[in-house]
Amino acid sequence: MDFLMTTGRTIRQGSYVERKNTPSYRDEASCIRMNPVDMLELLVEEGDAVRVTGNGSSVVMRTKPDPMLPRGLVFVCLGPYANVLASPWTHGTGMPDFKTMPVSIEPTTDAPLPVSALMKECGGVPYED
Amino acid sequence: MRIEDVVCPFCGCLCDDLVVSVEGTKVLSVENGCTLATEKFTGDHRLAHPIRRTGGSWEKTTYDVAIRETAEILLDAERPLLYGWSGTFVEAQTIGVHLAELLGAVIDNTSTVCHGPSIMAIQEVGHPGCTLGQVKNRADVIVYWGANPIEAHPRHMSRYTTFADGFFVKSAFRDRKVIVVDIRETDSSEIADEFVKVTPGGDYAVLSALRMIVRGKGELVPEKVSGVTREQLFRVANICLSARFGAIFFGLGLTMSRGKYKNIRNAIELTEELNRHTKFTISPMRGHWNVYGSNEVFTWITGYPYAVDFSRGIAFYNPGETTSVDILRRKECDACLVVASDPGAHFPRACAGHLASIPTVQIDPHVNATTHLSRIQIPVAVTGIDAEGTAYRMDGVPIRTRQLFSTDYPDDVAVLGRIYSLVKEAKG
Ligand code: SF4
Repeated sequence: MDFLMTTGRTIRQGSYVERKNTPSYRDEASCIRMNPVDMLELLVEEGDAVRVTGNGSSVVMRTKPDPMLPRGLVFVCLGPYANVLASPWTHGTGMPDFKTMPVSIEPTTDAPLPVSALMKECGGVPYED
Repeated sequence: MRIEDVVCPFCGCLCDDLVVSVEGTKVLSVENGCTLATEKFTGDHRLAHPIRRTGGSWEKTTYDVAIRETAEILLDAERPLLYGWSGTFVEAQTIGVHLAELLGAVIDNTSTVCHGPSIMAIQEVGHPGCTLGQVKNRADVIVYWGANPIEAHPRHMSRYTTFADGFFVKSAFRDRKVIVVDIRETDSSEIADEFVKVTPGGDYAVLSALRMIVRGKGELVPEKVSGVTREQLFRVANICLSARFGAIFFGLGLTMSRGKYKNIRNAIELTEELNRHTKFTISPMRGHWNVYGSNEVFTWITGYPYAVDFSRGIAFYNPGETTSVDILRRKECDACLVVASDPGAHFPRACAGHLASIPTVQIDPHVNATTHLSRIQIPVAVTGIDAEGTAYRMDGVPIRTRQLFSTDYPDDVAVLGRIYSLVKEAKG
């Protein structure tokens, strides 16, 4: 199903921002909030994994119902999971379209990767402390 | 030991009323701060020593080796990018700009992916702003547009707006009207007197409609503008027009969505129209605690607030060309020094991928997403905890952060100063 994805800050994202290698940060940054009716149509429940695809890449996230979101709009806090899907084009302004990303979402049996593995996918070498 | 009047180095509110109890080099408790402040002060996840990567594995190294290799990487590069700067103090930012000039590098700060478009708009039409003290003491109408302060700046409402009693606003909660404009309901919109829900990408049109009403051309406004009814637009315009002092705060909901800096320009021009009737101000909700400082420092040294390219031997600024995301997308830079920020987490993946493919060095106290993309990371003291320095609050007020205790970590000035000296020596 097609959606519009938007991003922003959350208190939890801010709280864990200085420990991005932890499961708490991963859980928050890979949480995709969506309207409960949209979840019904996708046949997913809270905490189920979904594959989100956009801008030629895809990333696994976990769903959370959020009745405050209108249907068709999904929210992910800013961070490395949302940015897998962000286009680097800036329309000559320096600023990518972080707030309006067209994505498609489908249920999956995969699990969200840790941040270090996401960085490995784009050429990095994980550092484990 | 109980330390009073501690400054919080987290968000642009730069709260300066925290009380922190410390024992040795451990923070025991934080009073007055929000959750983010408590996490920041009590967080205990520092990188213990410098690290470097050769091929596919990481090893521990010394400050001497890490600093020397960083200088060599920067000297070897043809088009180095020095990025970040918002999470450190202005004295360190100053060294960064001088280093960029010496190297003929591009230096950019995190405004490039937050309020860069706001600055572009301000360069076009000016900035009718004011300090937060004015807002607290005078404003009876507050507008949050594309911002969610409860999550991003948790004490903004309690220190300056909705819940803060002021000299001329005796009972804030009763006397101040709060309008929230957003594409979705948030915790902040829940406590607003008026919530204006705009369809995504529709802010420019809504701002234009409000300008028309304020200008007396309301009869031309259609029944609905980007999901907002004509009736609500008139109601909002009337609340603004009947304000004694109105303050608009806008967030990334405006700078990052369609229209970018033109949205901000329209919002500033709405403020200007309102000023023909009453007093109105507009201010960006700056994110990082010292992102404003990075704009100040860059401007007072180079004339430009971010995205400054020294490759021509003079300072050159052209957002869209000299901005980090564009430089990385074009795979143009051949080395990157990241200071006090995390582009690995906050840039589009294609940009993170380029950082991994070039020698990237990070100066930061913590392991973050960029760590995995880097070749070297040099841990430093945390400003406001074990280092002190000046920062600028979101309204441009400079505040000196405090050092609560000292540790063995050098601060950003010490590390950057040594890199600068090595580069200077090599350049002659
Ligand atoms: S509102 Fe911002 S500056 Fe104030 S205590 Fe919270 S995080 Fe710190």
